Amino acid sequence: MTNIFSIDWYFISLLFFIGLYCLLISKNMIRQIIGLEIMSKACLLAVILSGAATNNINLAQAIAITMILIEVMVVAISLSIVFKFYKATGSIDLKKLS
Amino acid sequence: MTYHLALFILIIVLAVIAVMTKNIFFSAIILAFISIGVSLILFTFTSPWAAVFELSVCAGLITLLFISVISLVQKEKRTVQEDRAKFTLFPFVLPIIAVLSWFYIAPLFESVSKYPHLNIHNYPLGQIIWKDRVFDLIGQIAIFAAGVFAIKSFFARQLTSKKAQVINHPPSLKLRKGKQIERKIKT
Repeated sequence: MTNIFSIDWYFISLLFFIGLYCLLISKNMIRQIIGLEIMSKACLLAVILSGAATNNINLAQAIAITMILIEVMVVAISLSIVFKFYKATGSIDLKKLS
Repeated sequence: MTYHLALFILIIVLAVIAVMTKNIFFSAIILAFISIGVSLILFTFTSPWAAVFELSVCAGLITLLFISVISLVQKEKRTVQEDRAKFTLFPFVLPIIAVLSWFYIAPLFESVSKYPHLNIHNYPLGQIIWKDRVFDLIGQIAIFAAGVFAIKSFFARQLTSKKAQVINHPPSLKLRKGKQIERKIKT
């Protein structure tokens, strides 16, 4: 069982890195939010996995539900900011923010 | 075990495709598939409620939000001038990170299994949400309300021209200013 968890942690860290890389190199604001989403998915899996590893899966589920709600609100607000920015400047380029 | 690993590998491959593709519409759809994969993994961890939330909210609602915003942006302006060399470098950087995380990050997280076991896994989820973690619900309501108010303030209803004129130039102020100007002229 320990081996399964170690492989899972490995894949979760890779998923987190993929999201981080997208967030760092992309200049497209929508793609950056997609990177943030990928990172948050890795965090969600990490919470559930730690709950499974310590026999507290239901507690982890309760926290995961809160995390999903926060994720939705963050995405909704950031997408509305992107759309407002697009309306003002006619672009979704991050360079034009400064 | 094989099913579990296959799901993880599928998610990693889909995430790489979502990052590397030029078309953001396509990457938003790929993100929905990643959410479906994550929810299937949550099912394998015997956490069905989180999986259902993930499937309905992340694969459904968030994809809908992404697609609606991308559709509102003009097709020519969806692509931004980016250094594609950094994107093409990504498949080469990923194996390096994979090797590093195999040796450093995975053993680091292994210590999680040594954390204290609360042994409350026999409690049903409803009892945990409604009794043990009631404060989370208040937080959820607060976050939801904050999100709704933030979006409402971003897309505030524009005033009609007459109302805007009244607010910007109230008649009483106009009169006062006029009187002040008259006095200045007299003096």
